[in-house]
Amino acid sequence: MNILVCIKFIVDPNQLQADEATGKPDFQRASYRINNWDEQAIEAALQLAAQHGGKVVAISLIKTPPPKELILTALAMGLDSVYLVKDEAGLAADAFRIASVLAAAAGTIAERESIDGWDVVLCGEASVDDYNGQVGPRLGTALDLPIITYATRLDLSGNRLTADRAVEERLETVETDLPALITVGMEINDPRRPTVIQIMGAGGKPTVELDISELNGFDGSVFSAEASIRDIEIAAQPSIRKQQVVEGDSPAEIVEELLNRLGAAGEVAF
Amino acid sequence: MAMQQGGILVFSEDPGVIGELLTVGRELGGQAGTGVTVVASGEDAGERAEEARARGADGVLLVHAEAPVQNGVEADVEVLREAIRTATPKVILLGATSVGLELAARVAQEIGVPCASDCMSLRIDADGGLEVERRVYGGRFIVRQVISGTPKIATVQPKRFAMAEKINNDLSCDVTEITVKIGTPRVHLVSVSERARSQVDITKADVIIAAGRGIKRIEDLEMMEKLANLLEGVVAGSRPLTGDVDWLPVDRRIGLSGQTVKPNLYIACGISGQIEHIVGIKDSRTVVAINNDPKAPIHMESDYSIIGDLYEIVPALIAACERTHTQ
Repeated sequence: MNILVCIKFIVDPNQLQADEATGKPDFQRASYRINNWDEQAIEAALQLAAQHGGKVVAISLIKTPPPKELILTALAMGLDSVYLVKDEAGLAADAFRIASVLAAAAGTIAERESIDGWDVVLCGEASVDDYNGQVGPRLGTALDLPIITYATRLDLSGNRLTADRAVEERLETVETDLPALITVGMEINDPRRPTVIQIMGAGGKPTVELDISELNGFDGSVFSAEASIRDIEIAAQPSIRKQQVVEGDSPAEIVEELLNRLGAAGEVAF
Repeated sequence: MAMQQGGILVFSEDPGVIGELLTVGRELGGQAGTGVTVVASGEDAGERAEEARARGADGVLLVHAEAPVQNGVEADVEVLREAIRTATPKVILLGATSVGLELAARVAQEIGVPCASDCMSLRIDADGGLEVERRVYGGRFIVRQVISGTPKIATVQPKRFAMAEKINNDLSCDVTEITVKIGTPRVHLVSVSERARSQVDITKADVIIAAGRGIKRIEDLEMMEKLANLLEGVVAGSRPLTGDVDWLPVDRRIGLSGQTVKPNLYIACGISGQIEHIVGIKDSRTVVAINNDPKAPIHMESDYSIIGDLYEIVPALIAACERTHTQ
């Protein structure tokens, strides 16, 4: 069984600060990470492969190179290889284009890996930076695959995949035949955390760079300039919080101090 | 009468969301000089059509779906595809529910256009583009974007807008009936169960005690309930406690995939403060965090932080509240 996992290297929103002068995100000082739910997608892929055998390959569409350590971390989790599809011109500017590029890349990578195709394509349900939640279902559409979103459990028997999924206030159990595209969120697993030694040791595994122009059957000129979505402005939502640390020598003292401050500020009357 | 073309098309699987989308649709329709058509589908399509008319829709596409089996989002894709073919809308609005996000993405990909997810404001600009505002980087930043081309597809943040009010006069509303033959789904629904629900609406609570991954056992939620009772509040939770483990009903989930709350006092116990959660507590008046990890992002998002063990702090808080109550 061959599994393709789509991953995104993102600025960690928890660490992203606004530039004080402009109010815009300060990407220079930000740290990067693998999108949270993509780690869960990697873990789900590795668990499927552990039970049923096969190759697990990750693909990431990048504008600029991600920190090497993050690529090594992904490999150290157990991936067989990582493909970086370079889009230096920023052609894949929206989710339609990203999914179209990934669909072409899926075919190109299968060819390079000398396999017939992908049995499972796995994506995180969204990336926590843009929070579009579109690329997974769009890629499934572009590849004409059955799509199971928001999976919380996967169980494979032969060619039949059974999944639990959490949607709104329902829990569903669904089934489909492979190949299929699956998106996963935080419920599905706890991703493994490779050790520093494992991360250092992952350098021997292949990282393959492909330029967007090298993808089979992909022609960027098909993207209409007319149908676009573009940013006009991005502005910080300033934190309105006091960010005071309440301290004391014992839990009772800390709590007393907290209640004093809450009461003094007129916020809560106890 | 012929179906009005080039207007605004509203689709949602959720009747309440349709009402909210009508509010947005009528506003945009006023700006663009076009009408709003609502897709009424599902078993209660007739009721939905009537509801849409009463709430000021200019047109209704009443869908008769001929489906071989009980079907999920694949049927919605087919219905929406046919509705778009019939109405050739300029703008398509869906709810940014889990289903709505997926549906919008799938249909937009088929058509070959982008889509703006989870919009919190929308307007038609001077050039006829659809200008939207969205939360990015976990709500730390707001991005303003403009969508051009046809059709323009956007999903709207649920509960952001009030439902369109009932007008209840004899406004004209074109009803066009269409029949959609639904194919055999590729993903088969084996079973569905409703997740447990509580009787509590956490969005209306004045005090919220929120539990996160720092809670080790389900029994420990009793301590949270006790504190909540003393403060006349309710217990809610982050996504791990309402999904990863089903310790709390899913309608008590706060965050991107749950509810947005606006209590006077919000006490986060053992919550790390991932963006997913923080988005839902922005409107709280005062935030208190109890977390033993000094590096937890929740401390940046709090008015008062206690860096300590919730298993020591919460009992101390309960004791202090009990003392106040008996005085």
